[in-house]
Amino acid sequence: MLDRKKLSSAYFTKNKIVQHQIDSFDEFIGHGLQKVVDEMGIIETEIGDASSGTKTYVRLETVSVGHPVVKEADGAVDRLFPSDARLRNLTYSAPINLTMTVVQDGVESDPKSVEIGVTPIMLRSKACNLYGLTDAEIQSHGEDPLDPGGYFITNGTERVIMTLEDLAPNKIMTEMDHRYGDRVEIAKVFSERYGYRALTVVERGRKSILEVSFPSLPGRINFVVLVRALGLETDKDLVDAVSDDPDIREFMKENLEEAVNLGVFTQENALEELGSVVATRQAREYQTRRIGYVLDRYLLPHLGNSEEERMVKAHYLARMAEACFELAIGRRNVDDKDHYANKRLKLAGNLMEDLFRVSFNRLARDIKYQIERASMRKRELNIMTVIRPDVLTQRIVYPLATGNWVGGRTGVAQLLDRTDQISSLSHLRRVISPLSRTQPHFEARDLHPTQWGRLCPSETPEGPNCGLVKNFAQMVELSTGLEDTETIRNELHAYGVSAV
Amino acid sequence: MKQISAPKRISRIKFGLISPREYRNMSVTRIITADTYDEDGFPIDMGLMDPRLGVIDPGLRCKTCNGRAGECPGHFGHIELVAPCVHVGFAKQIRNLLRSTCRSCSRLLLDAGRKKEYIEQIAARRSQGQTIDSPVEYVFAEASKVEVCPYCGEHQLKITYEKPTTYYEDGDKQLPSDIRNWFEHIPDEDLPVFGIDPNNARPEWMILTVLPVPPVTVRPSIILQTGQRSEDDLTHKLVDIIRINQRFQENKEAGAPQLIIEDLWELLQYHVTTFMDNSVSGIPPARHRSGRSLKTLSQRLKGKEGRFRGNLSGKRVNFSARTVISPDPNLSINEVGIPEAIARELTVTFKVVPRNIEELREYVRRGPVNHPGANYVVRTDGHRLRISDTTREEIADMLEYGWFVDRHLKEGDIVLFNRQPSLHKMSIMAHEVRVMPGKTFRLNPAVCPPYNADFDGDEMNLHVQQNEEARAEAAILMRVQENILSPRFGGPIIGGIHDHITGMFLLTREKAIDKNSALEILRKSGVRDLPQPDYIEDGTPYWTGKQIFSQILPEGLNLEYNAEICEECDECKKENCPNDAYVVISNGELLCGTIDEKSIGAFKGKIVNKIVREFGTAAGAAFIDNMTNLAIRGIMYHGFSFGIDDEDIPKEAVKQIQEINKDAMYGKESIASLIDKYEHNELESLPGRSSEETLELRIMQILGRVRDEAGDKAGLHLGIDNSAVAMAVSGARGSMLNLAQMAACVGQQSVRGARIQRGYSGRTLPHFKKGDRGAEAHGFVQASYKSGLSPVEYFFHAIGGREGLVDTAVRTSQSGYLQRRMVNALQDLEAQHDGTVRDTRGMIVQAKYGEDGVDPSRGFDRYHIQRIVKDVMEAPE
Repeated sequence: MLDRKKLSSAYFTKNKIVQHQIDSFDEFIGHGLQKVVDEMGIIETEIGDASSGTKTYVRLETVSVGHPVVKEADGAVDRLFPSDARLRNLTYSAPINLTMTVVQDGVESDPKSVEIGVTPIMLRSKACNLYGLTDAEIQSHGEDPLDPGGYFITNGTERVIMTLEDLAPNKIMTEMDHRYGDRVEIAKVFSERYGYRALTVVERGRKSILEVSFPSLPGRINFVVLVRALGLETDKDLVDAVSDDPDIREFMKENLEEAVNLGVFTQENALEELGSVVATRQAREYQTRRIGYVLDRYLLPHLGNSEEERMVKAHYLARMAEACFELAIGRRNVDDKDHYANKRLKLAGNLMEDLFRVSFNRLARDIKYQIERASMRKRELNIMTVIRPDVLTQRIVYPLATGNWVGGRTGVAQLLDRTDQISSLSHLRRVISPLSRTQPHFEARDLHPTQWGRLCPSETPEGPNCGLVKNFAQMVELSTGLEDTETIRNELHAYGVSAV
Repeated sequence: MKQISAPKRISRIKFGLISPREYRNMSVTRIITADTYDEDGFPIDMGLMDPRLGVIDPGLRCKTCNGRAGECPGHFGHIELVAPCVHVGFAKQIRNLLRSTCRSCSRLLLDAGRKKEYIEQIAARRSQGQTIDSPVEYVFAEASKVEVCPYCGEHQLKITYEKPTTYYEDGDKQLPSDIRNWFEHIPDEDLPVFGIDPNNARPEWMILTVLPVPPVTVRPSIILQTGQRSEDDLTHKLVDIIRINQRFQENKEAGAPQLIIEDLWELLQYHVTTFMDNSVSGIPPARHRSGRSLKTLSQRLKGKEGRFRGNLSGKRVNFSARTVISPDPNLSINEVGIPEAIARELTVTFKVVPRNIEELREYVRRGPVNHPGANYVVRTDGHRLRISDTTREEIADMLEYGWFVDRHLKEGDIVLFNRQPSLHKMSIMAHEVRVMPGKTFRLNPAVCPPYNADFDGDEMNLHVQQNEEARAEAAILMRVQENILSPRFGGPIIGGIHDHITGMFLLTREKAIDKNSALEILRKSGVRDLPQPDYIEDGTPYWTGKQIFSQILPEGLNLEYNAEICEECDECKKENCPNDAYVVISNGELLCGTIDEKSIGAFKGKIVNKIVREFGTAAGAAFIDNMTNLAIRGIMYHGFSFGIDDEDIPKEAVKQIQEINKDAMYGKESIASLIDKYEHNELESLPGRSSEETLELRIMQILGRVRDEAGDKAGLHLGIDNSAVAMAVSGARGSMLNLAQMAACVGQQSVRGARIQRGYSGRTLPHFKKGDRGAEAHGFVQASYKSGLSPVEYFFHAIGGREGLVDTAVRTSQSGYLQRRMVNALQDLEAQHDGTVRDTRGMIVQAKYGEDGVDPSRGFDRYHIQRIVKDVMEAPE
């Protein structure tokens, strides 16, 4: 038999206990920042004319993070260690440097690395000044070698970014509801891309008619109309996309009839119909433009936001429709929302990424404004002067210091509990659920068998947060989502899967 | 200021609208500038802080009433709105009126006959003291449907309303001035139909032309440490209104295009709306510069922290204290231990009269620091003097008749003691003060049940009454001893708990106690004499525990009943009960039977009940005090402990329990056979159940039986001399079920009444095969707590345990809300002297209080009747 003692002690080396926090933050510093910068790509301005190629813009290149420093009042810059940060009420943060190239009148200037702001650094992460030091060295810097790190220091206070538990995005979930005594089968998906979440719902209402709703759309729209607008034009394509099951194809007949009643036969018809829904009482031309934008931007954004992906979206909607029908005829069950396979954890790194994305967008807007202002006043464009690092810094440090995250979530960053060593460790391994604690939510509070080995069955607070606040199990290991879709695509292709 | 005359009785309250003229009349000044103070810090005339609006700065006098800050109630000003604005509070009413009156002649869209009918109906309801809401609603419903005016024949257009203050007539926006004009023409005689009294209100007054400016006392500005003034939210809002009003005026005079005028009008309407209510749907709330939304008029009134719930229904009080509670069995149940630091802070006021002047002088002399001292004196001229260490001698010498002295709380004072949630009348009781060292309130653990208190960090509140009437009322009606019997079920709510019961149980089963021990046990209960010894052995006398217990029973007490430990045999052997479960008390002597929860426990104690009813509350309190002390001595004499080895059962028993388990799983009438039957569709469904439900039910039944049988098996080996058994049997704490779980088998874990079903697809945990319906796979814990649970069992147990935790957490919040709704529904009901329960209108809710007029804590109970019957039967001819 395996010597469990050995296994346990291997897990309880001092770094293992908050490894998830540190790994996640390292991931953010290593790839997350660059990802956010790449999403933006360039900062465009209103100066110049795109058609004549004289447009002024800034190209964003590599981003890097230094080591925590303190800027003294006399301008001196010193390496900062956590103990100093705590004692002097400083923020333990390191500068973020971004290489940028200004393109003006079609002429590229030399790329320049500029400090765009600072970000708080997680203790014991790769960017931390304590990284790689021996216990004796750590001690000489006034730090406890047994302190696990995994938290931040803002204005001298130790802050933990809580791990958030959320329903898995980009996954079709089925539900059953009742509306005026009728059974309604619902297939839902939280589609997420670049921190933007859009809930898309397909439901089978009365008479088996499918309806879809997604953001920026008032009410619900007919499924067939939407899919037709996306490019699945013929009845056959449409039905084939949904299912090859004869029972389900039967249901689809009624839906196709409904589309006939609405007078929608072609993609053009469908787009017109939808246009009148999204932009009522507007010019026809605006309506078509608007519906195209809405379909690309707000419908299932995780599949992409350009016109090419419309067909993919149509097929995805067909999958959702199939799920509804399968649920209706009892071929599948309602998804268990509390099943841990349907949950995803947002760790410190993911949350910092969200924060950085919003702050960086703000910074980009500010840079754009500053460039435009500089050009209005006929000043020479100098990238150093148009960047105000405080814009970014403020927006990163403030949420961390108060816990009020972007998107209106509160309590994300909390003051590290230092009652004793154990309470600190427990705090760093805590998972919180976004469900409101004022509602009963009996099922969400239950200990679910799938939490075995992942979350502690015993440790949960008593009182209103019972079962909503959880803690990791002793030996939990977190796997991270794969960003590299290319490899998956290739792998699937090798198995003979063809693209839509 | 005017002198307040004798109190008057309010006969009725009339609600109406204030007319613009009245607004102007009550106003002390028109407000025209948005500025508040000039550079020198003086309020600007006709500005928002005009000195005529009242005073808030101490030392200044009001320009209107000449009162000082605190005396002057403040005075309204007004703003003349350039264009009329809708009052949000009446937005719905305005909509209804637009729909029910003619767009041309403004008359009610009902013919004279219908109108008369409705007016009569409304008048009838009014005279009966009923609300007139429903007939008025019918009027609106009926009149809105009319398409052609019955008077002028005008065709009516469709009125649509857009939240919060916009009205359209067939898509055309109606300006407030148009609406006001429309309403002005509604004749007075049509108004009663809408429930409006034309003498008190006119519909056009729902559209404001004059905005009253609340006095500065309503919106005081605060001065920050930096010396800056920070204005109240209302003032900020008024500034906005005046600014827009001015701009509107300028644009109007300059002849600006209609589009701009309308925009400004809308902006003014927005500010007027948010001034009254900043949480109306349809518009974004007005915000402070920092992003915080402003707290305007309706926000001040609404909700838990609003004026009504926060300041009128409930308020903060003086002369109160709060701290952690801890137990002190040496106190009487009537007492409460108070830390000296609190006693020094809380005071009772006494008037100086010849009888008490020397006593009070001594308190004053002792000053505020030495405990029974005094903090303040009030002279005859009403001036309040603080007693300090330096002035105490001087003030003591000056003390005269007619002064008042605020004396420290001291030993013997009556105070009120309370623990939230105050769910019944016993949640607030009067206690006598005992000043003690320490920082916690101390109370006798026997009074925990009525407060539902324990000592795991609970805090309680204390209130000191400030006049003699209140103290007398508390001492007579609210003392702890007056509340021993609960009116809820007519039994004692105060009595022995936990160790008291175990102690009594052990003591009254004690056979031989020597003289030393007997006296020691009785020492604290104030008994000095022993009765004749039970028997004498080798020249040393011995007493029984029953004899010792009898010493604290009052003479003349007679009782006969079955104790808690009674096993309810088919034929009761009475006095010869093998378990000594038949209690006979004759003339204050316990002849046979064991004393346990049924005799002295809170909620059950028959002896407590009887003593209180027959010998009075004082005797009851004395009995509880003595009994608890005796019980504690008794348990110490016997010695009492519980450890892991008390759960030991013999090997054979363990084997037998395993046998029971195995049998239930795989035996003849087992789960395995049930599942087999189910899978072969041979299982007979119970009526009204599917076969699957039947299977679950049957399995649950079997598993329940397994636990019980295992428990019984274990119980055979655990006798009454086992501590846990003694506690369970006597009713002190725990049950035989708990013991069975510890020693034999924990049993089935459940979530919401069913076995554990959720988890992975087709199974609860990956430890099992898919589709396994067996006991282990769905949360049956075969192990006992002592033997230890397997990991899977432990996890299922945690699942079951979590449900209980969630339940308690959710229930506490729900019961608070339930309580609030009950209080709101019942608060105005009152029991009258004639025995009826009536509401404030005098309507009878209950012809007799509680339908029988009986107070269960005082009335005859069946023991009385039994006793009377017995007395009569046994009476000598």
